[in-house]
Order: sequence, then structure tokens, then C-alpha cells
Amino acid sequence: MLKEKVDVLIIGSGHSGGMAANILTAKGISCLLLNAGPVVDLHKDRQLKQAYELPYRAFGKPGRLPHVYQANEFNANTWVDEKEVPYTCDPEHSYNWVRVRLFGGRSLFWGRKSFRLSDYEFKAKDHDGFGDNWPISLADLAPHYNRVESIFRVQGNQDGLPQYPDGNFIADPSPWSESMQRFIAAGKPLGIPVCKPRNSLGNDGWASSINLLLPAAFATGKLKAIPNVVVRQLDLDKKTGLVGGVHFVDRHSRREMSVKARVVILAAGCLESTRLLLNSQLANSSGVVGRYLIDQVYGPGVVCSVPEARDGKGSPDLMGGDALIPRFRNISVRSEKFIRGYALTVGSHKGGMDPRNFATYGDDLEKKLNSYHGSGFSMGMMGEVLAHPKHRVTIDKKVVDAWNIPVLHVETQYTDNEFNMVRDAVDTSAAMAEAAGFEVLAKNYQPYPPGYSIHEMGTCRMGNDPKTSVLNQWNQSHDIKNLFVVDASSFVSGGWQNPTMTILALALRSSEYLAEQMRMGNV
Amino acid sequence: MLRRDFFKVLATVSVSARALWGRQATGGNAETQAPSAWRLPARTVIPPIPARVPDAFAVTQANFFSAEQLATLRRLSELMMPARDPYPGAADAGAPEFLDFLIGASPQDRRQMYQTGLNRLSEDARKEFGAPFPEISAEAADKLIRRGLTAWIDGFPPADPYMCFMSVAQQDIRMATMNSEAWNSATISSGERPRGSDFYWSPIDPDIQMCV
Repeated sequence: MLKEKVDVLIIGSGHSGGMAANILTAKGISCLLLNAGPVVDLHKDRQLKQAYELPYRAFGKPGRLPHVYQANEFNANTWVDEKEVPYTCDPEHSYNWVRVRLFGGRSLFWGRKSFRLSDYEFKAKDHDGFGDNWPISLADLAPHYNRVESIFRVQGNQDGLPQYPDGNFIADPSPWSESMQRFIAAGKPLGIPVCKPRNSLGNDGWASSINLLLPAAFATGKLKAIPNVVVRQLDLDKKTGLVGGVHFVDRHSRREMSVKARVVILAAGCLESTRLLLNSQLANSSGVVGRYLIDQVYGPGVVCSVPEARDGKGSPDLMGGDALIPRFRNISVRSEKFIRGYALTVGSHKGGMDPRNFATYGDDLEKKLNSYHGSGFSMGMMGEVLAHPKHRVTIDKKVVDAWNIPVLHVETQYTDNEFNMVRDAVDTSAAMAEAAGFEVLAKNYQPYPPGYSIHEMGTCRMGNDPKTSVLNQWNQSHDIKNLFVVDASSFVSGGWQNPTMTILALALRSSEYLAEQMRMGNV
Repeated sequence: MLRRDFFKVLATVSVSARALWGRQATGGNAETQAPSAWRLPARTVIPPIPARVPDAFAVTQANFFSAEQLATLRRLSELMMPARDPYPGAADAGAPEFLDFLIGASPQDRRQMYQTGLNRLSEDARKEFGAPFPEISAEAADKLIRRGLTAWIDGFPPADPYMCFMSVAQQDIRMATMNSEAWNSATISSGERPRGSDFYWSPIDPDIQMCV
């Protein structure tokens, strides 16, 4: 018995898929959402345990999830298993691909940092001549950022910096601690602004598609969702040149099934959407699908101590709080050593110190930990990675996943631009800390492997020219009019900013465009 | 099929089911038997079982490190994490034996780092102090340990192999000790609130193909 065509098929239930479902169903369009993994039940799937109760005393099973540095024995079962869904890369140039296939995807566990891209990102080529501009500007996306920031309840302040665009924020009235004020003062002679961070507050502890986007979609009666199905490929109707539907496999039984759709939206996460297009051999007349893979440099940083806070002597107002230093390099003055820039997350900590920050052991270490308790101050880097066409993903036909779907091969590595940026970030952080009167305990100049940031972007970049881009400015495939890709694979450049707000704003804008195109009968 | 034959078949099936039920029961009329445990109502309460971890009563059998490597690791652990009343030291917490198990199950590069590092400690102790590491004085051991220590940041241990071993071993010894049942018991006995708890996520709707 043939089933009817669904109107819009959405693949993926994270932030971008959730936004697409939310917008389209609100406009009366029926959607079917497919998700590769199961729905989470907080009461059934987790329980409070002590570390000593775990089989490996919280070390985690050795060799499990070798590329997910964020994994620990408590949360190991929430990440995609690397043996179940492998990928390949050159061992000399490792890549950390960090995935969640639970319903809601990575929106369940993201870090909440919420920033807009600026025209230093959207029009980066105009600024420094490298790469390509986005086909849109901040002005095009601002109205959508406004709505996203309202849904996610972003808290932050208006700072008036073009590289850190202001937005629709809940004001952050928290005062600066004294240690932060000293750090801010140390930045002033260097022209380095220290600002309040911006975070999504969400609701009831969640800032996820599952609580902020999907419930309204389900409430319309227009959304149906199927968990535990892994999409194998998209089908092209050769007569129309349009995508006709998808083949998927039941995650448990391996039963092969198919569904027809009038429109298909890929929202499976940057590299999974691209993997689907490559395996389907679709939408790639430009040859750009898979290319221009970017993420962000994380790892380099500095750990310090505020001397006045040691031995229990600090006042209650001395320590505490977070800050964000937005990109300050290559704004008005060009650096000779690198283009683009980085941000720094800053923290003043009231709790215990990390024993690793002290070159001692035994009783002496315990004395140090007691003395330095409550005096920690740290800075960590978030750096822009340049987009190169040779940094890419392809299909490794020799390896398949647990459902016999060919896997991705990832080729990328950081370049001199990123490494020079790292040196500047660590040296500048240490200089500011010392100017503020802090003791620098440890510095790290080594970045985590590419991918660690969990901010993979690009590989289906948007653009005005179908010869050099995969999608138009509406996240619509140049080649196939009823195919949209709404996750971070559409990015042209990545900036230093957490991409979530931009992913949501683009998905919102694209979905409203699609709804209008469907209403006019163009799709 | 004729209607009377249909009902004859239905009755046969029903009788067979009851007969099966009867064979499973310990005796008596099958219709008065207790419901199967699989079909107990959702409101059924199971009395709590106060389960303990094996470490409360048993010791880990060390199978990976050589006798000398294990002795070196035990001495290093005692020095890195001595007992501090009321908390156990690494030895009483079974940390060296636990690490023998953990490192033995680890990928090759981690196994090699530990074996090379422990061997180096043994060699340096013999060369500089004329005795194996477990037998040299605390002052002598301090010299060998400190040349391997440096301040570092989580995720980025030193590049030098010996310093990397010493730094990582220190972290592992601390963690194996503070995450032990003995440490937890001492914490409770001293009236403090145990730390190090978090939500443990069970396998979520695990792939049934992997279970069969």
C-alpha cells in the first residue's frame, strides 16, 4: 500500500530542525520529522550516583569515545558511539567529531553562549581580502536574531561594539567582582574591551529544541515525529529534478523503508547533512559539497591566582563572575601575524583549584590547594578558523556504519594563521593577568584537535554564485529547488562566536521563505 | 473454516495455554496462581536491596604490571597520596591495584607511557641511590619525582615523556584514591557530605542488534 506524500520532511530534531518545524507548522504546513536516535526520559535514563559506584571509578571505559574529550563515565552513553557510526581521518591530522543523536540532538547539552555574527564575519572578504563574503549581512539577519534571542531568553548587555553586535537581551545587572574590575582596568591601556558574556537562559533549565521549539509545533497538530530511524539517502525524481523522498532504516530492526515528500529539509547537523548529500550524490554541481570545513580553536589559555584571595583573606566581593573579551584584533589595526581574530572567555573562581596547576605533590600539594582555594582566575581562547577548500569531508567507501551507510573521511588541520593567533591569545592573556597583579600558574599554547569545539561549520556553504556555493541565501539548494539545508553546513565563515544563534536565525529565515514559496506554488 | 470448527480450535488453544500455565505453577488450580513477575502492576514496589560495591570487601588482582613495576607504582602512590586523617591514602584505597587494572585495559600508548615511566623510576633509583625505588628514602624519592613535575592545564600534559608520565600518574593516583569506596566511607564516617556525585546516564534505548 503506497503512503501519501508528506508536505515537508525534516531530517534532524536539534536547534535547526526544531526551528524549521516550529515555523512551518505555525504557518499551517504539515511536517514529518525523522530523528536517528531515541527520545530521552530523564527519570528512566539517568540516576544520581557517586563516582566510586561506577565500574571505572569515573575514569570511563578505556578506549571508549577516544575523540570525544567532553565525555566522562557519567555521560558516556549520551554521545554517538564511534564504533557504531565511525569516521576516518589521517592519524597525523586527527579530527574530533562530537555527536548526539538523541531526540533534540546537541541542543540538549550545548554550552548556552549566545552571540550574533557581525559584519566582520558576514563581510570578512571586504575587510581583509581572504575567502568569500556571505550573501547576506548582519542587517539581513538582525530581525531573526531578535526573535531567536527572545525565544531563548538571551541575557547580556548592550556594549556598542561592532564586532560584538548588541541584541534583544535580558539585561545582566550583576556587578563586577573586584578581581574582574582589576582585569578590566588592565585591558584599557591595551584597547581590549572586557564585556559581560551572553548566555541563553531558556526555560526550566533547558534551552533546547525539545522545550523551546518543538512543543509549539506539536501543539498545532501539524507535526509528526519518528525517532530511531537512520536516513540512508535522498531520492531524486529524474523526471522533475526534484528530491522525491528519502530511504531510511529502522535503527533497531534494520527494516528498510521509504517516505515521499514534497520538500526535504536537512537539519541533521553540519557533517551529517553533508554526508547525506554526498552519499545521495545530489546537489553538487558546484563541486563544493564537503569543502570549506571550519570550526573554532579551543584549548589555549592561562590559569592564574589572585594573591589577595588566598588563605581565606579575600573579601566576599573580590572573586566571582564571568566575562567575555570579544575579538579585538584586526578591527581597526591590522596584525602582521594573522588575519581575523579570537575571543577570550574569562572566569573568576570562588571554588577549589586544579591540582594540575601546581608542580608539587603529597602534603605540600594539599597545603597549596588549601592556601590557594578560592583564588582562581582563568582565560580561554575561542579562535576563528579560516575556510580553505582543501579542508573537507568526502565519503570513505571502504568503511560503513552499523546500518551499512558509508562513512565520512575528514581532511583538515590548523594553519599558521591559527597557530599565530594562539600565541597572541595566550601571551596577551598572561600580560593582562600580570598587569592586574595576578600570579600566572600555567599557560597552554596547544590547541585541541580540530572539531573539539563541537562548532563544525561549512561544507554546504551558501553564496550567490551556483558555481562556487551549494545553497542560496535562503539555505535552498541551487540545484534542487525543493531541498533546503538549514544547519551550520551553510556557513561561509565561522568567526569566534558560538554558532547556535546564527543557526537558529538562518533556520527561521529559511523556513519563512520556504513557507512563502510553498504558498505561491514555487516549491 | 466452519464456525463450530473455529470455536473448537479456539477452545483447544485456550486449554493448551492453561495446561502450560499449570505446568509452570507449583501445583493447584492454574487460575488461582500468582501473576507472572513480568506482568506485575506498575504500582508494585520492590523492597530496596542495599547493594555494595566489591571494593568494600575484596581486593583487585593485579595482572598487568610486572612485580617490580607494581611495587614502584605502590610506593609512588603512597608518596603522592599519603593518608590524611580521616581519609585513606592511595594504598588503603586500592589505587595502585585499580590502576593496574585500568592501565592494563587501556590503549597501547597509555600502557607504554606507564611502563616506560615506572621503569625509568626504577632505573634512576638504582643508578642514583643504589636501590630499587620502593626501598629508597622519601628524600631520595622526592628528587626523582620532582624532576618529573610541572604545572599544567587539564587536557594538555607536558610533552616530555617522563614529565608526562609523572603528571598523568599523579592525576590518576589522586582520582583513583578520591573516587574509591574507602574514601567515600571515610567521608561519611567523618560527617562530611560525599562529593563527586553526578547523574549517571544509562544506555538509552540501546541498539538491540548489539545485545543479541
